[in-house]
Amino acid sequence: MKRASSPHTATRIGLWSGVAFGLCFVTGLLSHLLQHPPGWFAWPTRPVGLYRVTQGVHVTAGVAAIPLLLAKLWTVHPKLFERPVVRSLPHALERGSIFVLLGASFFELVTGLFNAAQNYPWRFFFPPAHHAVAWIAVGSLLVHIAVKLPLMRTPAEQVRRGTLSRRGFLLTTGGAAAVAVLATAGGTVPWLRAVSVLGARSVELPVNRTAASARVSAVDDDWRLTVGARRFSRRELEALPQTTAELPIACVEGWSASARWTGVPVRDLLALAGVEPGDVRVESLERDGLYRASTLPAAHARDPSTLLALRVNGETLPLDHGYPCRLIAPSRPGVTQTKWVTRLEVVR
Amino acid sequence: MRWVIGAVGVVMGLWGAVLVLPLVDVDLALWFVAGPVVHDVLLAPLFAGVGLLVARWVPPRWRAAVLVGGTFTGVLVLLAVPLLWRPFAGSRNPGLLDRDYPVGLLVAVGVVWAAVLVTTAVVRERPRADR
Repeated sequence: MKRASSPHTATRIGLWSGVAFGLCFVTGLLSHLLQHPPGWFAWPTRPVGLYRVTQGVHVTAGVAAIPLLLAKLWTVHPKLFERPVVRSLPHALERGSIFVLLGASFFELVTGLFNAAQNYPWRFFFPPAHHAVAWIAVGSLLVHIAVKLPLMRTPAEQVRRGTLSRRGFLLTTGGAAAVAVLATAGGTVPWLRAVSVLGARSVELPVNRTAASARVSAVDDDWRLTVGARRFSRRELEALPQTTAELPIACVEGWSASARWTGVPVRDLLALAGVEPGDVRVESLERDGLYRASTLPAAHARDPSTLLALRVNGETLPLDHGYPCRLIAPSRPGVTQTKWVTRLEVVR
Repeated sequence: MRWVIGAVGVVMGLWGAVLVLPLVDVDLALWFVAGPVVHDVLLAPLFAGVGLLVARWVPPRWRAAVLVGGTFTGVLVLLAVPLLWRPFAGSRNPGLLDRDYPVGLLVAVGVVWAAVLVTTAVVRERPRADR
């Protein structure tokens, strides 16, 4: 039996995939702006888990979009064999735009999935490529929606003689998306850890960059934290009034974990050193690497729960978590929570 | 309305092209083209072929279960690829992949098949609600 394409089912699954792609785009753009903030961009410090949620949604929606995209393509697969291949100029443009949409969509989903596993079977640098192609994917998706909008009103197909009914196909698609999310979301949603057999980082408080890979060896007593003109030893930091805050580490790769951090608020250190508050550059003992320094926006530097943490979950900070002290601020990407801090400097 | 959506889409796509232009090389171009090509020559024919085999060889009562189980298995296998195929992985990162993924994949696939087969065996044959 020759299978026809099924516009009603296609538009239903198209709507679901559109929601998933939209969520990915908005949350991805936020994450991009957070890491490369233009002058007009401001990001709130509350709720403390805001970035944890937006980035968790980004990765989870991306995973769910994989079966949705495949199911969507299955509903329109017969159109691939349409003859003549090109009927007219508008038809050629439409087919061209769909090729761009699919190229960009697969590019985003596949590179995102591989990046979350820190697996790079390509030579380009992932973040700018993933960001640029996202605009192409969503742009061509909007063009596709504009072209196909009238099909939203197509009545449900007559019963097909296939194995799965129309409803069965939709249920299978939703089920596949649910299975995909359950299998991977444990890195973001702690109570799913046990069932997420394909999730990364299943431990309580994971380490992404170990001291060994950052080439930071054991820190001796000569270590000092420089803030403006003041220098603090670790003992002096311990003698200052301590603040404890429950804050998550939330990675761009989607995993996140919350912990109880104890240390000195950054704003107290700036006040002790007598420097005017502002954006703070935070430098690490790391010798190289993209993330050896970060810039803490003024709003976060002012926040009472932005800490230079000395302890985690009641114990001295382990070297892999940034001993002698690390930055931990509410609602920030994990790569900006600089470890092995040696210097705080107000830059503007 | 449609024209507005389309115009916004064109502008966004062009902005993406501006952003991607300085990054383009053979590698990136291949990755862009690879998705639709691999789907059309590999994934879709595979799924269609499995569908045909199921329709020919599996008793009618079990066909839906086998298709659903096969679909879920396929999705789990695709998600496992970056975890299991790692000649291009970055430097070893013990904090990242901290599970036994081959066993996890087998368990998940086992649970999926057990669930669809048990459901099919338990649910009484009802007249098919096709719409």
